[in-house]
Amino acid sequence: MSHPILSVEGVNKTYDGFKAITELNFYLFEGELRTVIGPNGAGKSTFFDLISGRAKPDTGKLEFGQNTDLTKLNEYQINRLGVGRKFQAPSVYAEHTVYDNLVLSLNRPRGVFASLFQKLDSYHRDKLDEFLKLIRLDAKRHWKAGLLAHGEKQWLEIGMLLAQEPRLLLVDEPAAGMTDEETHRTGELLLSLAGKHSLIVIEHDMTFVKQIAQNGKVTVLHQGSVLCEGKFDDIQANPKVREVYLGRGKAN
Amino acid sequence: MKLFHALILFLAVCGLARAESTPREVIAKAAAAEDASERMTLIQSLLGRGDADVPVLMDAWRRDQIFLYADAAGTVVPVTLTGEADENDAQSAVRVDNAQPLTGADGKPVRVVADDWDTAEHDARLRRAMKAVVDLIDVGSPDLATRIKAINTVGYSQDAEKLPALIARAEIETDPKAQVALREGIALTRLKSSDRAERLAALGELRELHTLSSTDFLRNALRDAEQAGDKEVAAAAAKAMSAVESHRKTVNFFGTIFRGVSLGSILLVVALGLAITFGLMGVINMAHGEMIAVGAYATYIVQNLFTTGLAISPFGMSIKLPGMGAEGWLRESYFLFALPISFLAAAFVGILLERGIVRFLYRRPLESLLATWGVSLILQQLFRLIFGANNVQVGSPSYLSGNWTINDIIFGWNRVFVIGFAGLIVFGTWLVLTRTPLGLLMRAVMQNRQMAACMGVRTQRVNMMTFAFGSGLAGLAGAFLSQIGNVGPSLGQNYIVDCFMTVVVGGVGNIAGTVFSALGIGLVDQSIQQILLNPVIGKILVLLAIILFLQWRPAGLFATRSRSLD
Amino acid sequence: MTFSDSAVIAGIDFRSRHTWGFIAGAFFLIILFPALNAAGMVSNFTINLWGKYLCYALLALAVDILWGRTGLLSLGQALFFTLGGYMMGMYLMRMIGDLGQYKQPIPDFLVFLGWSKLPWFWEPFDSFQFAFFMILLVPGIVAFVFGYLAFRSRIKGVYFSILTQALTYGAALLFFRNDLLMGGNNGFTDFKFVLGHDVRDAATMRGLFVVTAITLAAVYLLFAWLKGTKFGLVQQAIRDGENRALFSGYATAHYKLFIFVLSAIVASIGGALYTPQVGIINPSEMTPEKSLEAVVWVAVGGRGTLLGPIIGAIAVNALKSWATRAAPDLWLIMMGGMFILVVLFLPGGIVSIPGKIRDGVAILRRPKTPAEAVVA
Repeated sequence: MSHPILSVEGVNKTYDGFKAITELNFYLFEGELRTVIGPNGAGKSTFFDLISGRAKPDTGKLEFGQNTDLTKLNEYQINRLGVGRKFQAPSVYAEHTVYDNLVLSLNRPRGVFASLFQKLDSYHRDKLDEFLKLIRLDAKRHWKAGLLAHGEKQWLEIGMLLAQEPRLLLVDEPAAGMTDEETHRTGELLLSLAGKHSLIVIEHDMTFVKQIAQNGKVTVLHQGSVLCEGKFDDIQANPKVREVYLGRGKAN
Repeated sequence: MKLFHALILFLAVCGLARAESTPREVIAKAAAAEDASERMTLIQSLLGRGDADVPVLMDAWRRDQIFLYADAAGTVVPVTLTGEADENDAQSAVRVDNAQPLTGADGKPVRVVADDWDTAEHDARLRRAMKAVVDLIDVGSPDLATRIKAINTVGYSQDAEKLPALIARAEIETDPKAQVALREGIALTRLKSSDRAERLAALGELRELHTLSSTDFLRNALRDAEQAGDKEVAAAAAKAMSAVESHRKTVNFFGTIFRGVSLGSILLVVALGLAITFGLMGVINMAHGEMIAVGAYATYIVQNLFTTGLAISPFGMSIKLPGMGAEGWLRESYFLFALPISFLAAAFVGILLERGIVRFLYRRPLESLLATWGVSLILQQLFRLIFGANNVQVGSPSYLSGNWTINDIIFGWNRVFVIGFAGLIVFGTWLVLTRTPLGLLMRAVMQNRQMAACMGVRTQRVNMMTFAFGSGLAGLAGAFLSQIGNVGPSLGQNYIVDCFMTVVVGGVGNIAGTVFSALGIGLVDQSIQQILLNPVIGKILVLLAIILFLQWRPAGLFATRSRSLD
Repeated sequence: MTFSDSAVIAGIDFRSRHTWGFIAGAFFLIILFPALNAAGMVSNFTINLWGKYLCYALLALAVDILWGRTGLLSLGQALFFTLGGYMMGMYLMRMIGDLGQYKQPIPDFLVFLGWSKLPWFWEPFDSFQFAFFMILLVPGIVAFVFGYLAFRSRIKGVYFSILTQALTYGAALLFFRNDLLMGGNNGFTDFKFVLGHDVRDAATMRGLFVVTAITLAAVYLLFAWLKGTKFGLVQQAIRDGENRALFSGYATAHYKLFIFVLSAIVASIGGALYTPQVGIINPSEMTPEKSLEAVVWVAVGGRGTLLGPIIGAIAVNALKSWATRAAPDLWLIMMGGMFILVVLFLPGGIVSIPGKIRDGVAILRRPKTPAEAVVA
């Protein structure tokens, strides 16, 4: 917990006059699992877009590790630094087999010429088998990913994220479309990753948030900036949060 | 002594001439004169005067067609001969001095045999003098255009002998344009003057006038002054030249802007339909060019129905459409009828295309590109089979030829028409999109198809209408292009690349962007042409510029940003 | 056939029907067909015509590796094809020597334009090696520069098509000009010799055909190998979800640039072989319409496959040869109609027909879910 792996300072992002992110400050430490919650339109996905290079901030500082400026890098460069992202809607290569999806995600040289002459060695083959077992898609390894059920796609994408061996994982609503049992297992997996990896998880499902935030902090985003940060129980008790977020939940 | 004699004669002749003798009388007198210098003096007295007869008579003189008939009294009467020669080779004769038939003492017409009489004499000097007279006649012409043209011709000849005529005309000239032409002509002529002060004054005048036409003369004057080592004159000439150059730059600048705007307007008209079908609907309609051609051929048909009718023979059939044989204003106004018909024709083809093919491919833009290209091939071939492989003639109304020239900048009426038409069509499109229920539905469906469908909008129908509207606009573009260029089977192909470029640069989904990009591309194109004087290289550079522009703004001028992903 | 399949050796699976089909096809084109021609059983006209088809097949493969496998619909491949043709044409023009109409040591059109000396850039084309090098280099560089600019600014989908269309259009305008000193309107023609052989000689024709067939087989193998590598996987990933590939750490722009340049070079080689066999190269080959025609071949044959583009190029052009004689007025309508029908009703092209029939028969025999089919 010495130096933050991710520092976000004074970041602003506007789309056509709409302030998606306003003066956002956020720090994540090595090995931490942070859960981010917030009502719709709070800027959660934009936040991930900014970290992963999909969007560039108008102003502000985005640093990875000690001194890597993320604002100067594009998506694949950021990914190669070790920032992996799981999208909200499952995004797998539908026409590739499950196995090939994982092969594409392996943390190996990803340049044009490397890809021409790269062979799968036994080390990586074993790793792939391991991932396939972990995400319970071993039997469907030759299926086209597009044929999988929604939850299975989520798992595949998590597997792809793990195959990248990232230092920082950005996980956007991993439990959507999963059964309760699967959701719980996902939570277990994420918890087991914390420590070795740093994670930011966006989630709506409060049961799931409670599960994964048992040791870590929760950040509440509201209108593009941090409303409050703290333990899950404190957050739940916070009247401001109740007003903007849970209050809304009650009204529903 | 001889000189004195000539002087007396000259004064006498001048007196006579001034005494209201008509130009005919003067010519007759000159033709009859024995002495060459007397003839010369008389002819020169005509400088700056004269009427339409003078050139005819002088021409006759030059060609030895003025005969010196001497009557019984021995008086020489110059005549010209007309009509058929009879069995004695005699022709009827017309007096030069009063244009009346030649009569004898008895008052009966006298017929004259050409070979019996001498012709009026002339030498090189006299012929030059006569030419000078002829040149100057038009200077007094009542028709402004003829007058200005003649003043210019005389001025550019820099002939000191004609100077008095110009000055005389300048005193009575009332038209401002002719006045400027006269001032220019006088100054140009004085450039050749032996009087240094006069040359300087002329240069000052020319600087003030800074007419484009004086450039070459000024350059010569500058060169002459430099050779003669006359620094003051050289400096004045240089000043005058720089005044002309700066005027030329202004003229070129505004001329380029005008031509650029008119080219931009053409692009705008042809691309506007595509801005709807491609920009709003996302359909890559490669047959857009053929929609334009449909409109152009529709105009062709309407034109022929107004005049002589039309015979076409598609697929071996022979179809004859009778014409109305309209004349005058009705014939000229066919274009007004052609406009709605070309719109409807193209819109109809558009509906067929949308229902038959495009609607299956809304989610597959590349496939819609390929399928509509197939349609484009078929339509082109159909045009060939129906109307022939060659261009067809669509006459443009007479009001499209001609121009206004304001301060040396030429505003061709066809270009003015182009700009006006573009303005109208953009305004009309804007009205349809923002002020009609259909426009509201169109924008709703294009922004969010599913949402609109949920709200009860019949999206299928709106798609169809939108596509038909875009195609109809292409049809209008065709009607418009038929007025300023050729109509042939590959008409559309000539514009398709430009159309797509315009829409892409403008930013897809943004009509205002298309307007700005069309005008921008037009201006850039014309500016490059103005610099390079080479349309093809200019076009290639414009294409390169567009590719580089998209480096800077990949989404075009007016990107439609949205928060939605992908 | 996946990346992980251990039965695949260098991209070739010797148990596969496709492999044996390829060997049979290559044997037929490279050995049997020319041999029949040498024996007089196949006419010189036919072998020349098929030589042209095979050049088109190379162009079709070039279009397919971009469009079918990477999802980039380029309307500029006819430009690269023609550029290759022009590079070869320059060499062939030099080989005419002083046997042209004007009996001058420089090409006729230069004499006609008032040149008495060879322009500098024509000089090295006396050498076949140089010309060969340029056939690879010139289209490669054009593709590299254009592709770099286009992919850097993430121009994709139809915008890429429109820009390549503009590129081709601009290049055609340039080549139509006489002062480019590339023959203007008429291009290059009246060739006499290639590598010392008379171009109209039956043996030369046969030789060119064999070279074309071997080149086609080599490109086929190259592309088959590419498909089996991780590169092939990335290529397909770009086609199906380019953004996802970016977030897997792949610099998709580099991949696309590599493919674009490779495709341009293959098209260029096709064009270089086309010129001596057809005997003429001019700017009318360089239009976006010609590129689209090549796309038709691929679509008709079957996009995304290796065999489809070859079958499509040969089938459509054979049909064209027949139709332009039998019904010249209707050919364009037939081609346009064919294109519409394929896009709407047969997206898989000709090569998908046997599969469709097999599936149809299988469904008739025993209904079976796709999942079962995959597991089985």
